[in-house]
Amino acid sequence: MRQRRRLLWQLYPSYLLIITLSLAAMGWYARDAARQLALDNSARALQAEAILFRQLITDKLASQTFHEIDTLCKQIGASISTRVTVVLASGQVVGDSEFDPARLETFALRPEVKEALQARVGVVQRYSFSMNADLLFVAVPVEQRGTVIAAVRMGKRVEDVIQAPGSLALAMVLGTLVIIILAAGLSFFVAHLLNKPLAELKGGAERYARGDLKYRLRVDASEEIAALAEAMNTMAAQLHERVQTVTNQRNELEAVLSDMVEAVLVLDNEERLIRINRAAEELFGIQGEQAHGRPVGEAIRTSELKRFVNKALAAPDHVEAEIVVLGAPDRHLQAHGTPLNDSGGNRIGVLVVLNDVTRMKNLEKIRRDFVANVSHELRTPITSIQGFLETLKEGAIHDPENAERFLDIIIKHTNRLSMIIEDLLSLSRIEQEREKGEIALKESPVKDVLLAVVRTCGRKASEKEITLSYACSDELKAKINSTLLEQAVANLVDNAIKFSDSGEAVILEADLVDGDIQIRVVDHGCGIAREHLDRIFERFYRVDKSRSSKEGGTGLGLAIVKHIASAHGGRVSVQSSHGEGSTFTIHLPA
Amino acid sequence: MRMRLQRDIDRLKSRIIELGTLVEERLRMAVKAIECRDTGLADQVIEGDIEIDHQEVDIEEDGLKILALHQPVADQLRYIIAIIKMNNDLERIGDLAVNVAERAKMIGEEAGVQMPFDFFTMCQKVQGMLQKSLDALVNMNADLAYDICAEDDDVDMMKNIMQKQFMEKARRDPERLEPLVHLLIVSRHLERIADHTTNIAEDVIYMVTGQIHRHKGARP
Repeated sequence: MRQRRRLLWQLYPSYLLIITLSLAAMGWYARDAARQLALDNSARALQAEAILFRQLITDKLASQTFHEIDTLCKQIGASISTRVTVVLASGQVVGDSEFDPARLETFALRPEVKEALQARVGVVQRYSFSMNADLLFVAVPVEQRGTVIAAVRMGKRVEDVIQAPGSLALAMVLGTLVIIILAAGLSFFVAHLLNKPLAELKGGAERYARGDLKYRLRVDASEEIAALAEAMNTMAAQLHERVQTVTNQRNELEAVLSDMVEAVLVLDNEERLIRINRAAEELFGIQGEQAHGRPVGEAIRTSELKRFVNKALAAPDHVEAEIVVLGAPDRHLQAHGTPLNDSGGNRIGVLVVLNDVTRMKNLEKIRRDFVANVSHELRTPITSIQGFLETLKEGAIHDPENAERFLDIIIKHTNRLSMIIEDLLSLSRIEQEREKGEIALKESPVKDVLLAVVRTCGRKASEKEITLSYACSDELKAKINSTLLEQAVANLVDNAIKFSDSGEAVILEADLVDGDIQIRVVDHGCGIAREHLDRIFERFYRVDKSRSSKEGGTGLGLAIVKHIASAHGGRVSVQSSHGEGSTFTIHLPA
Repeated sequence: MRMRLQRDIDRLKSRIIELGTLVEERLRMAVKAIECRDTGLADQVIEGDIEIDHQEVDIEEDGLKILALHQPVADQLRYIIAIIKMNNDLERIGDLAVNVAERAKMIGEEAGVQMPFDFFTMCQKVQGMLQKSLDALVNMNADLAYDICAEDDDVDMMKNIMQKQFMEKARRDPERLEPLVHLLIVSRHLERIADHTTNIAEDVIYMVTGQIHRHKGARP
């Protein structure tokens, strides 16, 4: 870039030049005028001298004593340092202060003499060869009875004449110099004064550029510059407002994005991640900063997502799909892809919104299974009852031995039906009461509950020759509803006994672990295969269809346990490995 | 020309990662098929193998094309060679996943097989190794790759323990040998997968450092 000169250095020299030029012009004129004045004054003085001298020589002219005239000329000329010449009307020089008149030729043609001989005052400034200098000559006529008989000429060197105002010239030059210096200082100051508001404007503009838009310019200067400053202030205020708006909008957007439950990914045309929100980071277990700018296939390794992104980028408008992210556990995502365009309508990328529908899918499945299961569970006993009743009606009633057996079966199935319905009712009761907050929790010892369970289940255990032991400290207390908790623990112990072989042990223990009260039921039975563990707390979920019915469960026991645990503000968990037994744990808040 | 080469290499990388992702998912599905006795999932793995095979061929062709067209040198040459080798390993892992899925189908037909071994720890370990090796590839992280090489020994050890357990069980309960045989074979497949994963990790080390790390064990 070309080196720019400062404004000061553009203004100041021109000021200086103008001042110097005008002073010089004026000085020139003044010098001329002074010189003219000096010449005029000298001419008048010379004329007066000439007139005086004329008086002196008038008599001598008349008496024609030229010799005396010459002497007089020489005397006076020397005393007033002026060349004095007396010329007769014929042009003959009769007296001269400098030269011998006899050796001088005629003066009649000298312009001042010529003038004087015609009875006028002759004033001429010219070069005199005899004096070898510039001289001012004044000649006056000498008249006798109306005729000019001679002329007196006074000559003075111009040098001497204008020598006089020499000191004046010096004073003038000095004065001019002083003025120039003063003017230079003043104009520098003025230029600086003009420059200062501009520097302030520049400083202000720089602060604006740095983003300090709250700064206001206060410039005390000429109207134009003040108006400029005002305009800049207005501009800054508007910019500030705009920036504020943009920032607010961005913050809002940021807040919306980060608080969205849905995962949001913004990708450019090369499938690179431009933005991802927190939900997406959590969903895919990635770090936003690390993933930023990377291709989606690298950052999130999920082929279905990549395929979806490819599809969304290729599609002209909105696309939607359901994708599955494999992992532990698998997640079902509802994916929406919307094209992103810039202001010119060119595609710059795609916005992908992923909605985690795993829970919904699971709930849907549970609901579907529940309906199927409940129908199945109710139908089985009813089919039997129906069958046996029909058999009885068709005549078996008259065969007492079979009729007795059939009725027993019918009673057994009716009991089962009633058990199922009882369990369903108690489930829905617990649910309802929990929703209404009607379940009364009382601080009571956990040991009492365990004792009660041991008492209820003891008989069943001894029938199967299973040792049922319990361990619990007396001090362990929790906010519980004894009846419900007893039911839950009893259900677990019941299951443990059911799935243990005779001779094995079932242990019931309760203690405080990490601020959690845990009630554990441990058995060493057949255990539960891994794939069932997530689902055994669902209603009617059966690990082994044939076996459970035989054991006489309703399929609702664990669901009831789960509901009771959550009614206490706790939860239930299970650890099990196939063939090695299971541990069910009720966690209660301490 | 050089820019085109870089673009081609980037595309190759994106494709190998795509293949890796696919293989990773297939392995996960195959293991899940065994865990949950889900023969439908196993069928998906078996049918999907053709996709992996196609991708492998495409990647190999692309790699060779780049070699022939641009004649790259130094790190770019290393990069492409490593990708071509990895491509092979990934395809083999895909095949092994299919084998695992086939076994899953066979086990699935036998109801109520007990898992006698600590089978799932092994599955998780192998899956983790594959995931890490792809992470190492994506991030060009040699340190991570060294870790994988070290982990391979653990998997070998697991396989040996399983073999011992199997022989013990077989002696005790010769009646129920069949499902155990399937599981033993699966464990062998998993061990092979771990080996291929280690190869991939070694290729990553080669890509990053230029050192051939094979047969050297742990970190230098």
